[in-house]
Amino acid sequence: MKIIVILKQVPDSETKIKVKGDGSGIETDGIKYVISPYDEYAVEEALKLKEKAGGDSTVTVVSAGPDRTVESIRTALAMGADAAVHVNDPALEGADSLGVARALAKAIQDNGFDIIFAGKQGIDQDNSQVPSAVAELLDIPQVNIIAKFEITEDKSKATVSRRIEGGEETIETSLPALFGCEKGLNEPRYASLPGIMKAKKKPVKTVDLAGLGLDAGEVGAAGSHVKILKWIPLPERQAGKILQGMETAEASKELVRLLREEAKVI
Amino acid sequence: MGEQRESMEVDVLIVGGGPSGLATAYHLKQAAKRHDEAIEKAGVGKKVGELSIAVIEKASEVGAHMMSGAVMDPVGINELMPDWLERGAPIESPVKKEVVYHLTEKGGFKLPLVPPPLQNHGNYVISLSKFIRWLGPIVEGEGVDIFCGFPGTEVLYDGNRVIGVRTGDKGIGPDGSKRSNYEPGIDLMAKVTVFAEGVRGNLAKPMIKKLGLDAGKNIMSYETGVKEVFEVPEGQIEPGFLMHTSGYPSRKDATGGSWLYGMQNNLVSVGWVVYLDYRDPLLEPHTEYQKFKNHPIVKKMLEGGKPVFYGAKALASGGYYAMPRLSFDGGLLVGEDGGFLNNKRLKGIHLAFKSGMMAAETIIEALEKGDVTRETLANYEKRFERSWAGKELYGSRNFTAAMSKGFPFPAAIHLAAQEATGGRGLIDPLPVAHTDAHALASLTEYYNDANAMPERPKYDGKWMLDKVSDVYISGTIHEEQQPPHLKIGNADICQQCWVKFRSPCNRFCPADVYEMALVNEQTKERAMQIRFSNCVHCKTCDIKCPFDNITWTPPEGGGGPNYTVQ
Repeated sequence: MKIIVILKQVPDSETKIKVKGDGSGIETDGIKYVISPYDEYAVEEALKLKEKAGGDSTVTVVSAGPDRTVESIRTALAMGADAAVHVNDPALEGADSLGVARALAKAIQDNGFDIIFAGKQGIDQDNSQVPSAVAELLDIPQVNIIAKFEITEDKSKATVSRRIEGGEETIETSLPALFGCEKGLNEPRYASLPGIMKAKKKPVKTVDLAGLGLDAGEVGAAGSHVKILKWIPLPERQAGKILQGMETAEASKELVRLLREEAKVI
Repeated sequence: MGEQRESMEVDVLIVGGGPSGLATAYHLKQAAKRHDEAIEKAGVGKKVGELSIAVIEKASEVGAHMMSGAVMDPVGINELMPDWLERGAPIESPVKKEVVYHLTEKGGFKLPLVPPPLQNHGNYVISLSKFIRWLGPIVEGEGVDIFCGFPGTEVLYDGNRVIGVRTGDKGIGPDGSKRSNYEPGIDLMAKVTVFAEGVRGNLAKPMIKKLGLDAGKNIMSYETGVKEVFEVPEGQIEPGFLMHTSGYPSRKDATGGSWLYGMQNNLVSVGWVVYLDYRDPLLEPHTEYQKFKNHPIVKKMLEGGKPVFYGAKALASGGYYAMPRLSFDGGLLVGEDGGFLNNKRLKGIHLAFKSGMMAAETIIEALEKGDVTRETLANYEKRFERSWAGKELYGSRNFTAAMSKGFPFPAAIHLAAQEATGGRGLIDPLPVAHTDAHALASLTEYYNDANAMPERPKYDGKWMLDKVSDVYISGTIHEEQQPPHLKIGNADICQQCWVKFRSPCNRFCPADVYEMALVNEQTKERAMQIRFSNCVHCKTCDIKCPFDNITWTPPEGGGGPNYTVQ
């Protein structure tokens, strides 16, 4: 089976994001970049499927981003993926979800695929659009936010579960298909030290938009339908208040009063 | 339970990707090249060939656990990489202006002259984490494998010969059970293992004991530094400005000192260091730092600013007479694992670089001879004694002992005599007064009150940050689903400690990890609670627990602070 994982590199969730003074973006200095956590579930599920499917199954990571993205790609290779395609083109800087999806879809098509895993969303901009757009462009079914994954013996169908309000939804789909992975699907493995050594020798193919036969003016930032006008930092959090030196009953009363009169939330 | 562990062989294994570890790796590559070229030319001798060198680092990225003042004497990096400045090494500024103050509680005065050991002309203000983040990829570019997120948890021996290091397991749950993604650590086997863990290395500590490397040496003494990086209004403090202070809030039985360094982008490194031989069981380095910061002279300098980064780290300040034996069968100690720190000059980065270089040269010699026993590796110590690093540390050999007598007096008398005699002073070696970090006075001894509990300062979340808020700006994070990496030897001892000392761990820990928490209102029962995910890896607890009841072990790889400009 040709198993594909779509991977995005994002700032670590612990990074304190600072918006640039002019609101044109974020300060990238000192940011630690990691694989978007939901994409780690995608990598793990792909590796589990490979182990199950056996034979000559391969896991190929496909990712779009600048040079630094290679580090995250190598991490996925160290976890056990076999190869990677890195779409690296400055024109993609600032491209909208559809543009990125076009580039990824073309790279996946060129590589060939039987099944695709992606994170349900990137944790940086939380658009949650790329996986669906890739599936649409490749004209295959897609199920997003999956928390369970099963495949039939003959690998023609997959049964997946989604957590929904008050229950669980079970969906069966034919393959090839794309799946957006949710927390709880699995516990991503660690990259082992020998795995990291092996990853250094695994092939990472770098392509630009021209190499994919795509027009940078159309797919890149220049052709974006969506433009980010301004980044605004969150207002700074005010210091909390601790009610001290009161009996529980008195403190509760005071808390209710503050919630009603000061915070105006009840 | 014979568990199958993978093993991997390398020529040289280096534990720790800080200045000494990276210098060892970089210089090994350079020295091996030069060595083989010389052999080629001469036509005789044995080449060492392309060395396989692995560096393991517990942080998630190279540099993420690096914390220092820092003013660097460039003598070390100049030797290691003469074109370091041209290659774009990040510096904050050359030292431009320096002042030394002696502070009293409300006032103070500027010393008319900067004492010679503190003269920093020609040195550079740097951020050590930035510097190491820059150096790491260069070392990797030389063909060194750096594995981040892999702490060493055990030294592997063949008898008394060090043959490698086991890395930490990953994927262990809080109750010690294996999670579905359990990944056992591996055995890294090496001809020579270099320990470059920094202060109080978790591998070096038991190894020094086992191999008797500290026999006949002074007890290693330690200090703990607490630091905030301030953002101040534009132009208020120029990059390259240096201030050191003595006096307040130092006490006779708790000597300390401060620094304040101007960095780029209106950032200022501000810190307080306290000697860990203090006797007050309730002394709190974090609070002492707050006192310093709130001294009128300091407060005025930082006016309008706010802390934006935090860090804390112990340092091995014992100096020459406390340095352990540096070589043994199969391995070497470099950097702070070997006590390479000149407390008198408040510097160690240059010595760390130099120790790594000397280790590398010795390793090449050993590999050429095919003898990695102490017989050959002891040449590292000879190199050290002959080097400028050896001379510098020998020159300061009695400094710590003088300070242990109590500052300013009588320490100053010893220091003056040492200054005049090239370090010899009045007595050489000068006996150390009480550098043993465990020597705490009980509450009744110190306070004459079995229930003493000095108040903490008032925190406002802006200028005054409590420990937890400071930990937040240190970028510290740990996998929560793991057992605490801070191991309490015996819980009953914590009960005795509460009675006698009121749990000093709660006070000395600069990251609010320890609390002897009231668990039963009725019985007044208390139990030790360990918030291990706050730990900034400073190692103070491992040093200062009066009962030696805390052992610092590495958490799951990658956990810890994320220092970026600290």
